[in-house]
Amino acid sequence: DALLPAPQRISILSTNMKHFLTWSPVIVQGATVRYSVEFQGEYEREYANGSWIPISECSLTTATICNITEDISATVAYKLRVRAELGATRSQWGTTKGFFNRAMTSLTPPLLRAVAEGHHLLVELADMGPSFQFRVLYWRKGQESRVQQKLMKEVSSVVHLDTMEAGAEYCVKAQAHVEAINRSSSFSPTQCVRAQGDRSMWLV
Amino acid sequence: GACRVSMSMTEIRAGFAAIKANIQSRDPIRTLSILSHPHSLHKVQSSDRCCITYQLFTFYVDKVFKHCRTEDSFVNRKISSIANSFLSARRRLGQCREQNNCVCGEESTEKFKQILANYEGLNVTSAAMKSLGELDILLDWMEKSR
Repeated sequence: DALLPAPQRISILSTNMKHFLTWSPVIVQGATVRYSVEFQGEYEREYANGSWIPISECSLTTATICNITEDISATVAYKLRVRAELGATRSQWGTTKGFFNRAMTSLTPPLLRAVAEGHHLLVELADMGPSFQFRVLYWRKGQESRVQQKLMKEVSSVVHLDTMEAGAEYCVKAQAHVEAINRSSSFSPTQCVRAQGDRSMWLV
Repeated sequence: GACRVSMSMTEIRAGFAAIKANIQSRDPIRTLSILSHPHSLHKVQSSDRCCITYQLFTFYVDKVFKHCRTEDSFVNRKISSIANSFLSARRRLGQCREQNNCVCGEESTEKFKQILANYEGLNVTSAAMKSLGELDILLDWMEKSR
């Protein structure tokens, strides 16, 4: 086995609770090297004799990336390892340095679109996955001290925020929140829209 | 005392739902229950809930999950997911238990003794598989008593 080097530069890319293991390819001229990935949670380390669990989707794969999101499904410290395989020859395991906890994922602000539909202030948020909730802040421009908030547990396509005064401008921004790791993203850029019609029409 | 611990019930339920039929098919003894014999968890008083929840998490972490390894990689991955979620939740529950000084009343102590007796009355693999197969009984009770 020592003939086949272990994969190097093993790392985890994690954004918005989606986690991927990546590694550098093992090059053997004229041959197709395959890889197998296994994971170990804190439970396996502490209570199951340090056992490792194979990820079947990334067993004997030729790819150098593996989606580990489904298996990193608790907020504990995980270790990952990968080895190269060529026929019956197997390399040593290459293991992630340190631990990975999903609480370390990087959270990006939600994609948001504010919409003025007549006098109605609506907001559209891009779905970020089952773990995500949203905190939407909205206010009338010039009345920044009277910000209102709406918490959204699930993303539905469009949400009604407020009924606007004719001709007035309203602003919206939002942040994503993940209850499982008790963390929030930064706020999205603020978007402002103007209600239809102008005040003089209402005065008549 | 009260212990409010945020726990990804949705994730645990999804993980269990994915393997429930498989696990329950491995439990030939349908006439016995580990968690509900002779009395249901629902009879536990609210003041004892924090303590017995912690005891049950410890029971699953220490005794149950390790004896549930199967030949099925998918099932093993879901059991790992549930086990690690229980470990994470138990840690937070333990912290809360210390802060709130959750005392174990006579009733929850008696109830937990009964659960252990039910468990030890079977061979370890059958007992572990049966206990895992009853996970939704525990989850339902926890959600109802929130």
